[in-house]
Amino acid sequence: MAITDITPPSQFTEARKRFVRHGFGSPQASFISVLVFAVLAYIAWKFLGWAVFRAVWSKENADLCDGHGACWSVIDARHRLILFGTYPYDEHWRSTLAAIAIVVTVLLSCLPAMWNATRLAVLWIVGFAAYYLLMEGSLLGLQQVTTDGWGGLSLTLFLFAAVVLLGMPMGLGLALMRRSQMPVVRWFAVIIIDTIRSLPLVTTLFTAAVVVPLFLPTWLEGDKIWRVIFGFALFFAAYQAEVFRGGFQAIPKGQFEAGKALGISYWCILGRIVLPQVFRHVLPSTINMVVVTFKETAIVTIIGFFDILASGKTAFGTAEWAPYYIEVFLFVAAIYWIFIFSLGQYGEYLKGRMAISEH
Amino acid sequence: MKNVIAAGAIAATGVLAPHVAFAQSATVQQIMDRGTMLCSGHNGSYFGFVEVNDQNEWKGLDIDLCRALTTAILGDPDANQIVPLSWAQRFPALQSGDVDVIIKATGWTMGRDTELGLQFSLPYFFGGTQFMAHGDLGITDATGLEGGTVCVEAGTTIERLAANYMTTIGIEHSMVSYESQAELRSAYLANRCDAFAGWGPNLAVLRATELDNPDAHIILSDQLSSEPISAAMRQGDEGFVDTVNWTIAALLIAEEEGITSANVEEMAANPPNPRVARLLGVEPGMGERLGMRDTWAKEMIAAVGNFGEIYDRNLGADSPYGLERGLNSLWSEGGVLYAPILD
Repeated sequence: MAITDITPPSQFTEARKRFVRHGFGSPQASFISVLVFAVLAYIAWKFLGWAVFRAVWSKENADLCDGHGACWSVIDARHRLILFGTYPYDEHWRSTLAAIAIVVTVLLSCLPAMWNATRLAVLWIVGFAAYYLLMEGSLLGLQQVTTDGWGGLSLTLFLFAAVVLLGMPMGLGLALMRRSQMPVVRWFAVIIIDTIRSLPLVTTLFTAAVVVPLFLPTWLEGDKIWRVIFGFALFFAAYQAEVFRGGFQAIPKGQFEAGKALGISYWCILGRIVLPQVFRHVLPSTINMVVVTFKETAIVTIIGFFDILASGKTAFGTAEWAPYYIEVFLFVAAIYWIFIFSLGQYGEYLKGRMAISEH
Repeated sequence: MKNVIAAGAIAATGVLAPHVAFAQSATVQQIMDRGTMLCSGHNGSYFGFVEVNDQNEWKGLDIDLCRALTTAILGDPDANQIVPLSWAQRFPALQSGDVDVIIKATGWTMGRDTELGLQFSLPYFFGGTQFMAHGDLGITDATGLEGGTVCVEAGTTIERLAANYMTTIGIEHSMVSYESQAELRSAYLANRCDAFAGWGPNLAVLRATELDNPDAHIILSDQLSSEPISAAMRQGDEGFVDTVNWTIAALLIAEEEGITSANVEEMAANPPNPRVARLLGVEPGMGERLGMRDTWAKEMIAAVGNFGEIYDRNLGADSPYGLERGLNSLWSEGGVLYAPILD
């Protein structure tokens, strides 16, 4: 009977069989497998014991924290500080909505259906305007909160989204300029890219935040946050331009020449023939850049912004909660993980989608 | 031409309002026009001086001094905006006008005073290098460290100070240097050192927060050095320096005279002596000479208390840190804080 059963074995059974075959194929393999799993189980048990079984959860019970288990009370008491920085307590709903607006904007821009210039432009303008109006408040007749008061997760998300969305077109522009036939344009791009890449990010941001206002007239200064976003975006663009250049180099020159021979305009060749292939080539490195940028936003603490890491540090920066910094760092790490893991998964999805369109 | 107009304007003001000869400072005028005072915060938390509470509001000794100054100028302790700044950023931020004043555990040094173009106020805090030792040694000062091991952070001024001090008082000891504060701390906790040297307020905070049993450690009474901590302002606005100095002075005088946030109204209604009457604006003088309201000091004390209250709330007895007043007591209590003469 078993021979006539032609339904494919379930994935799970298959995986289990493979696992048994590879993990317990010989006595040595069995021994090592058992050892590794024992160690992993021991670590997991220890961690769970600390993080779950012996943990204290609510801020009312904070005096039960004795160092034997995690003291999640610090998160209970201080999560609003971690998430919103020094944003006024009663206005946190605005910060929440603003963060949601940014997440929705980014999510929508990830959908292939949105990929045309007009739709993206409208989406970004609406998304960022919504963020700004909610956070700043005075134009909506709400209590004004200047950018010094912005902080926590909503600030991190905003910085990240603004830097990537501004930096991506800038990077593409620089890459195109670098490939230009005109020496002046080409050299301009080379100088910009190489200068910015030879400066540390901290220096760039510090200059944008602190040094620029010393010599710019007041009316041109703008708010610190915009200067910093611009500086950061320029930094991102310089690196992304090189990523794009790699993509361009992978396209045979003949495609351009063939396009020209057929009388197709430069922009049409670029937009319809070359760029779609370039995007496919640069996808993995671009996702890499984006992920790195998300983590690098933490550096803005050096110029006095309360990003989520800085507000996390502030959360345990008081006598009551000072011993529980591990809990806070784990909480912040989990938030980073959620966002960065989603970015990575989105990259995988795009790769799969592009692989289909290649056939 | 400009000079003629300016001279005319001065003459005109002189004629119209002879008592406003003590012109207001540009910074104070700016703060009044803006309706907000811009103070320095921290990009995180500096125990006792700048922290954030559960309601996401700033608190701490430095924040309270900012609130005091805000009340003095604008009459409302909440009319300030705390701009988070990193250590490196604070002086450029002051120069570029991002903040009006730096009140951020900042020591008064010659370099800052001259090369950086800053102006410092009266010191409001003295933090010195001190020793922390294990409590079971049963000692109270450094003479008890005879034959013991003292640990320091390598390459710091503290290392030099500690070596110098121990030689001066003639105590035999061995000194061990560690590369980082964290190593130093763990070496001390592992009993490899009998005592270690550090900045007083930091030691007290460490004792209160990070060591498992605060009572098992003692901060020795020796003061190896003392750094004056002052508010820093841009050079060239003497009027504003006067305002900040007299804000600090008024907080000290209030403590000297026993005026607290609780009894300030009572004191103002029934001033025990002419100095209190002048301070609280019952008799004129406090306001006009700074171009402010006569009652600014009264409002300020009502809002934040006197200097002792501010200290106790943030660093001292009423705080988790329990830092002794020591040098930071009034001169009359054996400390070094004193106010200029209120005439």
